[in-house]
Amino acid sequence: MFTGEEIAIYLEELEEKIQAINDNVLLLEREGGSPEVIQEIFRAAHTIKGSSAVMGYEKITSLTHEIENLFDLLRQGKMEVSENLVNVLFEALDALKLLKDEITGAGGGVDVSAVIEKLRSCRAGCGAGKPGAAPAGGELPPAPAADELPAGRSAYRLELELEEAVEEVVREAEVRGFQAYQVDIGIDRGCQMKGVRAFLIFETLQQAGEIIKSVPPAEDLQEGRYGEGFTLVLLTREDAGQVRDLVFSIAEVSSVEVRPIKLRSGEQPAAREAAGQQARKEANASPGRENIKTVRVDVQKLDTLMNLVGELVIDRTRLDRFVEVFESRYGSDDLVENIVEISNHLGQVTGDLQEEIMKARMLPVAHVFNRLPRMVRDLAHKLGKEVDFIIEGRETELDRNVIEVIGDPLIHLLRNAVDHGIEPPEERVRLGKPRAGRLLLKAAYVESQIVITLSDDGRGMDPEKIRQKAVEKGLLTPEQAARAGEREVLDLIFAPGFSTASSVSDISGRGVGMDIVRNQIEQINGSVEFTTTPGRGTTFTIKLPLTLAIIRALMVTLGDQVYAFPLTNVLETLTFKPGEIQRVRHAEVVVVRGQVLPLVRLAHLFQEKSREEGRLSVVVLGSGDKKVGVVVDRLIGEQEIVIKSLGGYLGQVPGLSGATILGDGKVALIVDARGIVKDAGVEDIIYEVNRTG
Amino acid sequence: MDKGRGELQLVVFRLKEQVYGVDINHVLEIIRATGVTAIPGAPAFVEGVINLRGRVIPVIDLARRLGLGTTGRSENTRIIIVEVGGATAGMVVDGVSEVLRLSPDDIQPPPAMVAGVSAAFLQGIALVGERLVILLDVTRIFHREEKEALRELSREA
Repeated sequence: MFTGEEIAIYLEELEEKIQAINDNVLLLEREGGSPEVIQEIFRAAHTIKGSSAVMGYEKITSLTHEIENLFDLLRQGKMEVSENLVNVLFEALDALKLLKDEITGAGGGVDVSAVIEKLRSCRAGCGAGKPGAAPAGGELPPAPAADELPAGRSAYRLELELEEAVEEVVREAEVRGFQAYQVDIGIDRGCQMKGVRAFLIFETLQQAGEIIKSVPPAEDLQEGRYGEGFTLVLLTREDAGQVRDLVFSIAEVSSVEVRPIKLRSGEQPAAREAAGQQARKEANASPGRENIKTVRVDVQKLDTLMNLVGELVIDRTRLDRFVEVFESRYGSDDLVENIVEISNHLGQVTGDLQEEIMKARMLPVAHVFNRLPRMVRDLAHKLGKEVDFIIEGRETELDRNVIEVIGDPLIHLLRNAVDHGIEPPEERVRLGKPRAGRLLLKAAYVESQIVITLSDDGRGMDPEKIRQKAVEKGLLTPEQAARAGEREVLDLIFAPGFSTASSVSDISGRGVGMDIVRNQIEQINGSVEFTTTPGRGTTFTIKLPLTLAIIRALMVTLGDQVYAFPLTNVLETLTFKPGEIQRVRHAEVVVVRGQVLPLVRLAHLFQEKSREEGRLSVVVLGSGDKKVGVVVDRLIGEQEIVIKSLGGYLGQVPGLSGATILGDGKVALIVDARGIVKDAGVEDIIYEVNRTG
Repeated sequence: MDKGRGELQLVVFRLKEQVYGVDINHVLEIIRATGVTAIPGAPAFVEGVINLRGRVIPVIDLARRLGLGTTGRSENTRIIIVEVGGATAGMVVDGVSEVLRLSPDDIQPPPAMVAGVSAAFLQGIALVGERLVILLDVTRIFHREEKEALRELSREA
């Protein structure tokens, strides 16, 4: 049978093709069937069919065979895109995904007969010339007709499958500057001397190039044993137009279609190699070299590499310190200068190495984004909404760990946007908005962070409604609600147990959404904010770190030890005189720009001896909408640190989220800023102050 | 012993005037006891964490772990780095003296309590010449049971 690697290659291709079909079916639904879209789906189905047959996956083979048949009809204009068709296609796609899971062992016993039956009845129903419902885009798909086709006649066209030998020739010819064309030639039905016509066409084309294949075979053609036409593969330096003119110079030619043959390196070869055929190895080495440009690497290996580089970074920092000492001690000695130079170079190389390995761990957000359009589509369908879902910046790359985490929150936000944000089409029309709501998902780099924004042009959120709801739900007392500012009120959507939906649908609005979204994002040192305008829409902005392994941190001291605060949670640093501290109940607070800031003493939290003297250094931490000032001994400054776990033996230590190694080789602990803010009981104090103050 | 008839090698060290041994198969290396970073909020017997060539490794105060009070610091104080159940950790001891070869026959099952150490942590005892060597079960020492964890939590609260 096939080796694990062959199956892996097959699966990878399968995944890719399923995604291609998925994307194109979405296009089909939105824009109607353009010839390109139809051709893409046809090709993808065809490729899957081919490789699945080789691998012996019969269910996939027969399913894709049906899809292929359908699109063959669509391609020829014998059928039109209908809503029913799109739905059946999505069903077929789901079945394909299940079948894929079946191969990977994640599922089993998938029955495709029902879907195949539906696909068939689609073909039967529509193929009879009575189109179903109007295409979703409102346009009829133009039939992919051949150029200059005399009216009333259908063009002769064939989907050609190239044997390996032919492909190899085409590949080589490409290198030598030839283009390969597939030439479909239709001959008048009334033609009496078909053999002669074929002969003449051969003669003519051979002046322009080389015919390397013909269907039916050349012998049959020259004896006139062919139907309405035939297909040639021509290698030439002429362009398609010239080739067509040449063929049209022969009498009784009714149609000519000249299409460049594109060898899809990395697609078909993969399938072939999956079939265990080594024949084309050499051919791959020339133009199809992309095949071997990538290797698969276990993520664990990358993680190990990253750790090793982390160690290197630490040693480099240590070396820097020695160099400083040498410099100050021996001045501008030649040897010292050499060491300085070596150290600088080492620093640069380590930095580059670190960056490259970080990049190697990155994946385009497309990995997450690509599965969203389908979800939005299904959701909109279910809710009777119309949504234009636009994705930008798919190519933006993120650490794979981050990618794993952001899927869930994004799905949540999208659901909310479609369910609560975007109005039903009728309402939108009444409001003078376009029928279809616009949903824009965008990823981009901004200052060593990834920023993902999701904007809709729907209802927006009404602070007054939220205020009311918060009181109803008991999240705020009427008094608190009256005091709270607009931003404060809006941020209540992140409070546990809050839901603005007036009716609880089965899509969102169970009131478990936004607090979880925020939690998930903050867990990976990200942040989420939003702006909203009633009647105009809402925009969520998610900021994420490029990687989880290295962060910027604010270093502080407490007693003999150094602690690191992740910079994502640090809002600012302040200093106070001890006399500025006020007491509210048992809590210490200070007033900053008219706002009450609760204080937590790190020394108290960690039961350490503090060495603070004179002015107090305070690190202001923010998580969610809460703020806390943490009193430390001394602020050292910002630094890039490599995050290390404290290990399973210690497990979760309250107040700490990890450790890092400093330039002098000592271990510094990373403070769990979110945990500290969360445990500080901030609201109570603030409301207490507000009541008394 | 689980190694069957084979010879047993022990890393022998001193702790609170008593001689102990651990199976050399668990021992990765022995280092000087410097640069330990204390962990606030961790159980009392946790000395802290150290940097072992770029890895952050927890270190325990063995004497405290065995219920013998704190280990004092001296020139001879060492950290024995052990590997237990896939994890690496260190334990502070008063000084490492030698590696001892024993035949399994030299080892006797532990009494309920030896030198104030509960049998739960013991693998056995061996009489080497005039000396009594207490064999510690490293796995048990670095195994934190639910009960203990709960007790620690309640102490914190």
